[in-house]
Amino acid sequence: MSESPRKEPVDKARRVTRRRSERRATSLLSHGEPMVWLTGGALAIASLMILGLLALVLWHGLPTFWPGPLVQVQTHAGRTLAGEVSVTERFAPEPSVVEALPEGVRAAARSELERGEGRTRRRMLRTGNYELSGSHFNWVSDLEIASESEPEWLVLVERLSWGRFYGTPRAITIDGARTEGEPGVLWARFEEHHDEVRARWERRRELEVVEIGEVNHRMEAARLRVRAAELASGVDSDEARAARGESQRVATAAEEDFRSLQAQIATLREQNARYTLELETADGARATLALEEVVRAFAPNRLGTAARLGVYVDRTLEFLVDEPREANSEGGVFPAIFGTVLMTLIMAVLVVPFGVLAALYLREYARPGPIVSAVRIAINNLAGVPSIVFGVFGLGFFCYIVGVQVDELLFAAKLPTPTYGKGGLVWASLTLALLTLPVVIVPTEEALSSVPSSMREGSYACGATKWQTIWRIVLPRAMPGIMTGMILALARGAGEVAPLMLVGAVKLAPELPLDATAPFLHAERSFMHLGFHIYDLGFQSQNSEAAKPMVYTTTLLLIALVVTLNLLAIWIRARLRRRFQGNQL
Amino acid sequence: MNYAPAISGHVFEAISKNEPFPAEVHASLASEAHVLEIERFDLWYGKSRALHSITLSVPRGKVTALIGPSGCGKSTLLRSVNRMNDLIDSVRIEGEMRLNGDPIYAPGQDVIELRKRIGMVFQKPNPFPMSIFENVIYPLRIDGERDRRVLAEVCESSLRGAGLWDEVKDRLNDSALRLSGGQQQRLCIARAISAQPEVLLLDEPCSALDPIATARIEDLIEELKGNYSILMVTHNMQQASRSSDFTAFMYLGRLVEYGPTQDIFLQPHLKETEDYISGRFG
Ligand SMILES: Nc1ncnc2c1ncn2[C@@H]1O[C@H](COP(=O)(O)OP(=O)(O)O)[C@@H](O)[C@H]1O
Ligand SMILES: [Mg+2]
Repeated sequence: MSESPRKEPVDKARRVTRRRSERRATSLLSHGEPMVWLTGGALAIASLMILGLLALVLWHGLPTFWPGPLVQVQTHAGRTLAGEVSVTERFAPEPSVVEALPEGVRAAARSELERGEGRTRRRMLRTGNYELSGSHFNWVSDLEIASESEPEWLVLVERLSWGRFYGTPRAITIDGARTEGEPGVLWARFEEHHDEVRARWERRRELEVVEIGEVNHRMEAARLRVRAAELASGVDSDEARAARGESQRVATAAEEDFRSLQAQIATLREQNARYTLELETADGARATLALEEVVRAFAPNRLGTAARLGVYVDRTLEFLVDEPREANSEGGVFPAIFGTVLMTLIMAVLVVPFGVLAALYLREYARPGPIVSAVRIAINNLAGVPSIVFGVFGLGFFCYIVGVQVDELLFAAKLPTPTYGKGGLVWASLTLALLTLPVVIVPTEEALSSVPSSMREGSYACGATKWQTIWRIVLPRAMPGIMTGMILALARGAGEVAPLMLVGAVKLAPELPLDATAPFLHAERSFMHLGFHIYDLGFQSQNSEAAKPMVYTTTLLLIALVVTLNLLAIWIRARLRRRFQGNQL
Repeated sequence: MNYAPAISGHVFEAISKNEPFPAEVHASLASEAHVLEIERFDLWYGKSRALHSITLSVPRGKVTALIGPSGCGKSTLLRSVNRMNDLIDSVRIEGEMRLNGDPIYAPGQDVIELRKRIGMVFQKPNPFPMSIFENVIYPLRIDGERDRRVLAEVCESSLRGAGLWDEVKDRLNDSALRLSGGQQQRLCIARAISAQPEVLLLDEPCSALDPIATARIEDLIEELKGNYSILMVTHNMQQASRSSDFTAFMYLGRLVEYGPTQDIFLQPHLKETEDYISGRFG
């Protein structure tokens, strides 16, 4: 009924008339101009911080594997140092530093300091040769330097232990025959034979780790069968006796395999022992390195850009696909990548269905009311619980209660060695699933509630049951929202470290949680994780200066991994969304 | 026009006094076979009463139009037929409805099975977020039909029935949401007829569409006539007069007059009906 507009004139007389304000222009505030600046500024600051963080990680992380030039410096005090420059900074030296210089250079040092307003440059050289010098790094200030050069044949050796070695080749022993001579000649010999020595070493590793591991596994399995039979039917039962006999036979056979493997290993070892490289360090000391210990060696000052790029790529590949060495500060992080991805995926597989079911009940079945609201608030607040608390819960509940029960029921033969009664992949995934549950439930609920009721009604009118409607209409339509929840959970879960330290992430895992022995996925094993790896490198490492670039590089890798997982999920979501686009009336 | 309505004025008076009054039902309806019989049907939304003792029978194979001002209970009556009102907690009903003699509100009635016998098309097209094909055969899918040949056949015949086949036959696997509004509504009609319903309920099927799409739907209703028994709500007098065989005029939750469309439009028995049709109120 159209009444209100026409009634207005009648009411007008009784109304208090409001005059328009005198001001000519609408105020700046009501135009909203300052709000544009405020909101835009907030966004700009937020993006600057994120970009800054990314830039920092990229700046420090990307050059880690780049082989810089090697410098050799002679100090006035007569020391010779050689190595890579790893830090350059300006500092204000104590007056005593200048006093300690020989008389002839003091004046020059003073004027240099004056020009720099009391400051001068110092560099940290990675000088390596730890077994000779007892330190990996040395500071050297410009004041101390008498001369500096980049010797052509100064060689960088990356090796399995003791960190890097810097020196000039003086002699090489190939198959027991020692040759002295020009570095260039020796180097050709080195490059000729290094690969075969390394191949033998790799074969030896394989024998030691995989094949001996397999023999041990056989013996352990037989021993467990004995124990299981004893537990099941008593120590003196026929079964136990049969199992013991069988175990005896297995052990004898294994012993034989073991001896033959040992013999092969000894042969390889002996062969490799006949290959060594002798280097002279910058201060004139000599060292003999076993060739099989050398992972990679090259003379950086001889390399052109292309060759350096080759080293860079080679090192990056090693980082991605190899196992770590030197307390994780060298080598690769493959087990950590593997552990992170596997743990995150298992977490997603656990949390998404669980979260979706919970959200479905909350949104579709539960009668709205104070209880449902309370549950919803509780779930939201779960996201605010410190993650270490989840770790404690995971350890206390999953590992020590559920895990111990599982061990008693299924792995009694192995006790007292725990199988599931300790931190492991499955418990870590479950703990993180719990942690990320709210992150899945909240967007899922939102997505469910945004499914138009006209669609539900249409489905009911066709004679669909509630569940059919949910399964065929509501869930597919809510799928992009559910994917959003999954993306958030992936990002949250992959970057989480604190709870993992309690429920299964370790510094160095002997085996991957996925391998070729049944049951293939070993959910009870502890695993390596990139986040934990970063923490370990940065805060627990002996050689923290050498580990620092690796911290950034590993962070970069973790970020890249999370971004990759997310992009994958976003791509799937975009594909789903395209299905629901169209002429929505 | 020298025709004068027989009775006048008693409807508003009775309503204002909240007294029951008999609906003016034309005699010619008695000779029809009825697919749906509604008897003394009342409905309350919580405390407010939306339907007052509606008694109305829908002839088989004909189009019956429900007209009346906004909020008079047309949609409510329609949604009572396939018990969509069960989904609203506050609804309470009294009275009886029978679909081909089968009591709709009998205590043991299986609502899911009942809805499969009734097709419904809503005011706003509501295709599902799936392909055109899956949309059309949705009623069969939820019924557990697996045979691809049957599904394809039903899909084609339903789309042909809804006059959409030629437009979509090459893109049955495209998302239904990408169709135009009019196409979406015809898709919903195809979906409703794919289950071979005993009665088809249309709730203002054209009110969200442009004139051309509306015309197509009206043509379609013309074609469906005879094969289907249709109960249709419409806001549009021309549509009612063009498309329907019978027209029921409702006002404030009551059935006022019900008869053959021609009679209702040209010589209604009640003055109220005439006033409404000629646009004097509503
Ligand atoms: N879900 C509901 N809850 C409460 N009242 C409703 C509901 N749906 C409709 N009504 C009321 O019932 C009356 C009839 O509505 P409706 O059947 O939609 O009218 P029409 O379709 O004829 O326009 C209106 O007064 C309306 O406010
Ligand atoms: Mg309506």
